[in-house]
Amino acid sequence: MEHKNEQPNEAQGHHISSYKEHFSTLAALLLLTVLTVAVSVFGADLRSLSVATALLIATIKALVVAYYFMHLKYEHKLYRWLLLVVVLLFVLFLVVTSIEYLNR
Amino acid sequence: MEHATGLVLPNSGHNRDAEASKMGMWLFLFTELLLFGGLFLVYMVYRMLNAEAFLLASFELNIALGTINTVVLLVSSMTIAMAITAIQKGDRKTSVLLLYVTVALSLVFMVIKFFEWSAKINYGYFPGMEVYQNLPAGESLFFFLYFFMTSLHALHVIIGAVFIAVVIYRTNKGFVTAEKYTLTENAGLYWHLVDLIWIFLFPLLYLIH
Amino acid sequence: MTTATTDLNFFQVKRGLFSWIFSIDHKRIGLLYLYSLMTFFLVGVTLGVLMRLELLNPGKDIMEAQTYNQVFTLHGVIMIFLFIIPSIPAVFGNFFLPIMLGTDDVSFPRLNLLSWWIYIIGSIMALSTLVFGDGPADTGWTFYVPFSVNTTTNVTMSVLAAFVLGFSSILTGLNFIVTIHRLRAPGMSFMKMPLFAWSLYATSWIQLLATPIIGITLMMIVAERFFGVGLFDPSIGGDPILYQHLFWIYSHPAVYIMALPAFGIISELLPTFSQRTIFGYTAIAFSSLAIAFVGYFVWGHHMFTSGMSGTGRIVFSIMTFLVAIPTAIKVFNWVATLYKGSINVQPPLLYALAFIFLFSIGGLSGLVLGALATDIHLHDTYFVVGHFHYVMFGGTGFAFFGALHYWFPKIWGKMYNITVANIAFVIFFIGFNVLYFPMLVVGLMGMPRRYYDYLPEFHIPNMISTFGSWILVTGLLLMLGNLVAGLFNGKKTGRNPWNSISLEWQTPSPPPLANFDKLPELPEGGPYNYKND
Ligand SMILES: [Cu+2]
Repeated sequence: MEHKNEQPNEAQGHHISSYKEHFSTLAALLLLTVLTVAVSVFGADLRSLSVATALLIATIKALVVAYYFMHLKYEHKLYRWLLLVVVLLFVLFLVVTSIEYLNR
Repeated sequence: MEHATGLVLPNSGHNRDAEASKMGMWLFLFTELLLFGGLFLVYMVYRMLNAEAFLLASFELNIALGTINTVVLLVSSMTIAMAITAIQKGDRKTSVLLLYVTVALSLVFMVIKFFEWSAKINYGYFPGMEVYQNLPAGESLFFFLYFFMTSLHALHVIIGAVFIAVVIYRTNKGFVTAEKYTLTENAGLYWHLVDLIWIFLFPLLYLIH
Repeated sequence: MTTATTDLNFFQVKRGLFSWIFSIDHKRIGLLYLYSLMTFFLVGVTLGVLMRLELLNPGKDIMEAQTYNQVFTLHGVIMIFLFIIPSIPAVFGNFFLPIMLGTDDVSFPRLNLLSWWIYIIGSIMALSTLVFGDGPADTGWTFYVPFSVNTTTNVTMSVLAAFVLGFSSILTGLNFIVTIHRLRAPGMSFMKMPLFAWSLYATSWIQLLATPIIGITLMMIVAERFFGVGLFDPSIGGDPILYQHLFWIYSHPAVYIMALPAFGIISELLPTFSQRTIFGYTAIAFSSLAIAFVGYFVWGHHMFTSGMSGTGRIVFSIMTFLVAIPTAIKVFNWVATLYKGSINVQPPLLYALAFIFLFSIGGLSGLVLGALATDIHLHDTYFVVGHFHYVMFGGTGFAFFGALHYWFPKIWGKMYNITVANIAFVIFFIGFNVLYFPMLVVGLMGMPRRYYDYLPEFHIPNMISTFGSWILVTGLLLMLGNLVAGLFNGKKTGRNPWNSISLEWQTPSPPPLANFDKLPELPEGGPYNYKND
């Protein structure tokens, strides 16, 4: 939640991502997909560690999609702040709920 | 609204405001995130309460099909992002072509999903079926969540595809141009959200062994 | 042609039913909400009066137990989903937010109209439960499982109605956030924005980020009712308390969807009627955001007796006490605003003062419920019923009627009879306390809520409470009658009958379609910088 009077830029499309950038983004995402599947299939004994890695890789993938495909990197910083608040809120829901359930 | 009847203010909301539309779309995506967020919360709690059962049940899912669908969605995410680049450069033809590819990929996703679902339903894992009713405690919850989450996601895929179809129509009609492409951008944002949700659904349902 | 039509106000621009129900003018949409809300409010009041009538004496008076269950559920659903949640944002937010920001409409006028239509569809769905099947749901407005999954009454329809209404609420919130970010008058920074706009901003974020959770939860109820697999059934690994978590993750923040706009109204009323700058602008503005944020993490205080873990209960109790801080900051700032002001006692101010008094009782009784030890005793007693009526009706309800009296001359360009309004207020206020204070008492004595019958020792407080409901209704009818009479025979008012410096008073009453007839001028030195300070 931004408090200063900062208006996102009026002029539309000050940034045009290149096709090449999109290709590299996809390559990175596919690589991460291969990695997460490999960890799951071959690292079956890792158990709780595999949950953590899977979620970590998913989070990285999500950030890549948001930053490059969704242009978050080139947007006004307001959008990054808002997304941060939303994600933080949701994570705190999970944390508070876990506190309740883990102490049953 | 016509404003012939009064003063036009410098900050009138009826001027075409691309930034406002985009902001509105982002806010809507936040809502969607928390809609699925509620389901992820349920998943988390039930997984904590039934760790073993969730593990066993998740072995029933087909990792190969899940992975293919992940790739399909990632590629479609790229094609729609490219469609935006194309229209920004004023290349209407390429933009429409890439949008068609995106819709085609969404259909591929749905077809694969359909086969996956039918396989599970043939086994009797659909909520209410006989096999489902006799599943050990916890496993039936997993399949309930599997069907609930993937079908809600599939619903979003369909809505996204329809949205993109509208963009194709509007672009062909000349309403979307190099100066005015918010519609394509918003369709893109929505489609990426569909991808984002899947990025989390895929490991949580298929991979966590 | 232009010179002639510029003088028309927004009522005169177009006429006829269709020019209203398909209007994308935010002022007309605000009024559409007002008329529909008031209709549903009166239905809800009627149900409430019937409940009080049933509770006049122990045993059956006018209805069976099952009917009573359905009446209190429908009363709750109507009052919460159809009246209080939309109330101030949908009516006064729609009408005044763009004007107070110095612009001519919200960012998405068509979406705004769509929100109203969705609201109407949801409302019709909620009321339709009366006429088919086994009648309205009998679960209470909370739809707790497993009963909501098993009962034969129209739970599915009620739940779908709440889902649809939630959609309307989300779209309104989205519209307001974008409007506040994009359409403020040149020179109006966030810190020069009226506090009503601030409170709507915080409210809109809650609408946007909490409502989807109830949406998905209610969908699970529907799925359960169709497939009956026992999603919340402990025998297959489920947990009924998880439903309560999900429900209250939305429904506690929803309390702030109801309360925050009311805070905003009070922050507008007090400076105007004491002709003094608001005390602690920044503190009031940011406490709205603080309440919105911390308010997300207190939901568990509704479930202290549900079988949560001890740690969970302690966390939720501490968080609950924490939200009291920003709320108290507001109350102290309001009182400080009045200090040494030149106070002009008018009906809107009376409602504002009543708000502070009643909301404080509601808030303090809330602390009694937020504390673990006392809540065990008071949970599901009439103390809770008294508490939330003080907060919701004494708080939001009084702010709503205060706002109605405050902006009435702006909306319609006419003034109601002030003396009658004052008398109506006194009756309304007395009726309110006679109705709800005995509930706190009888709750402390141990009378449980949600029963159509009670033990004989609770007879006298219940009788007093029922008498109170008659006084309250008298005051309410007199107040509304006076306002309606003002619509027809009220004296014409100028632009600024209350001598306020807020932007909406710079424009003619009623405002023209484009909101302003000349460029609005921001008051120098902030939105509440009254000259005689
Ligand atoms: Cu609460």
